[in-house]
Amino acid sequence: MDEIVAEYIRRTVLKIPRDEIKMMLQKWGFLSEAQLQTLNFHQIKDNISQEVVQLCEENSADIKQAAVLDIIYNHIYQNKRMWSVYQMRKTGEELEYFDLTDFKKKFKRRLRSALKNVTITFREYEDNAIWIRVAWGTPYRQPNQYKPSYVVYHSQTPYVFISASVLKSNLPLLCQALIVASNYHDIREMELRSHSLNSLKDIVFKRYSQNFQTYCPKPLQGKTVEPESVDLRIINENRNEKERIQRLNQEAFGDGPQPILQFAQYKLETMFKSSPELDVLDKKEPFRCLVKFSSPHLLESLKSLAPAGMADAPLSPLLTCIPHKARNYFRIREKKGLFPGSFVSP
Amino acid sequence: ESGDPQRTALLLRKAWTLYSVTPLYRFCRGRLRDYARLLSAFIAAEKQKGLAVEVGVELDIKVALSSLPELQGSEQDEPALLVQLSSRSRASPRNSEDKILWLGCFCCVYGDDLSENMPEDFTCLPLFLANGAESYMSVVGNWFQKTFDCIFRRLAISPFSLSWMVAMWAGCKVDKAASAVELVFSVPRLPQPLDISYAIHPEDAKALWDSIQKTPGEITQEEVDVFMDCLYSHFHRHFKIRLSATKLVKVSTAIASAHCDGIVKMLHSQYLSGVLMLLTELAISQIQ
Repeated sequence: MDEIVAEYIRRTVLKIPRDEIKMMLQKWGFLSEAQLQTLNFHQIKDNISQEVVQLCEENSADIKQAAVLDIIYNHIYQNKRMWSVYQMRKTGEELEYFDLTDFKKKFKRRLRSALKNVTITFREYEDNAIWIRVAWGTPYRQPNQYKPSYVVYHSQTPYVFISASVLKSNLPLLCQALIVASNYHDIREMELRSHSLNSLKDIVFKRYSQNFQTYCPKPLQGKTVEPESVDLRIINENRNEKERIQRLNQEAFGDGPQPILQFAQYKLETMFKSSPELDVLDKKEPFRCLVKFSSPHLLESLKSLAPAGMADAPLSPLLTCIPHKARNYFRIREKKGLFPGSFVSP
Repeated sequence: ESGDPQRTALLLRKAWTLYSVTPLYRFCRGRLRDYARLLSAFIAAEKQKGLAVEVGVELDIKVALSSLPELQGSEQDEPALLVQLSSRSRASPRNSEDKILWLGCFCCVYGDDLSENMPEDFTCLPLFLANGAESYMSVVGNWFQKTFDCIFRRLAISPFSLSWMVAMWAGCKVDKAASAVELVFSVPRLPQPLDISYAIHPEDAKALWDSIQKTPGEITQEEVDVFMDCLYSHFHRHFKIRLSATKLVKVSTAIASAHCDGIVKMLHSQYLSGVLMLLTELAISQIQ
């Protein structure tokens, strides 16, 4: 077995938390159950990984098998990576029958014709997701196994989720290989990024509970703002206002759990306007700003601002449109003409 | 030892933790070498006791105290005092350069408010900047407190002071490639915490400030308030969020950046004195 492969397997096992190593090796299926029995999972990880490497040596593991272990790790710890969303486009409306074998063949052929040294690995998962791992080399160097790109493609959809490695120069080639293999003619990057792959899927596949645009004529039952207090002298201040905010929030964000995004970024190129008494800036040029919102769970956070008294309800559509516009990067310019107060986002 | 112009550059582009220091009793500017020796011995003793220990390589810690007369505002100000802890590993060759482990700087820039009625025996250096491991700060701080009967206290920066800083610094003239004027707000007490970064193009921020400031060289509270209100209302117009209800935790410009925990970074040599003057004022308010 190659030392490069040995070292790669050793480092991959080291990444795995100790109590999950056995489970991942079983998923991998490269070592037999009998071999797994011989492993002592109660020692320090350094020793466990050394023993795993020994066993892989016995089975003559090569880089292809090692890459599968890496995909398994990254599939389970997918939220450690940052994912971008790409949308592919076809000319015709025909729904072609998706042939996985054909897809893989075309994908590999396209990449290999451009780059001799690449390691390409596929793995299919139950939810129709095809995971692709690509390790990139150059005409003169073996692929760098430590900085691979990951692609997740749901064949029934035009969406591809990519976690590129630091080597961004390979992205055009990767995109090309994808459209060739899937019989699309065009691919574009959407302005949508998150650590939570499932949330990105929720957003583009519209799997989250959306806000409904239709007006709800009956006041919504159910959610009282605070529990009734026993002492009748204590009343809820601004009860109406609180209920109004609750209702507007519900209309804007929907009822269900929000998709998980970590940030939203707005490049503002709108005019600065102040109240007329303030004799300030009155330029004809835009007031250029860059606003970035960050949170472990951005949409939940924004949803809680109005009830907390820090924002007006309804919250600005610039924020509430994030899931149904499927983007978290925006460029906002002033809308010219009839309604000078409104904004347009290209 | 007297300072030289190059050495004020030591203060630039480093993250300094701020402290206020009460006046030092019977500090003698002529005895810097003695003090360095005493502090060195103190550190060695603390190391033996098991404090201020750097894991691994055996280090000889060298202490140097020097004056930085460039860092002064008025004639009444005490020249700044620099404390430098450096090391040479016993393993490395003789002629290799010392590595700076920790830097501390006492200074006073336009500290007349404090030094005015100060009795003879007291030296006013109300602002202290520290850069390096906390363990060294602890040891050095202890020695100065014991030796000169003074008290060190962390200096936090309130949102009120941060607004002054960003308004002042946004108005400074800087070159084309200047970085944005950034304000960072934090909303911690939500079910999911939220941070908001609001960065304005430096030319546009300066244009806004210039249209507000009435007298060049003078800044009033009212002008700072108008500046902040303008920024808040521009933000509210777009997002319907009231930034004034959130906590301003950090401001950042091409001149300097400041964090509410009392950490600053000074980036522009031309305005170094101005920033230190502001910080001296904050330190003095904390002492009085």
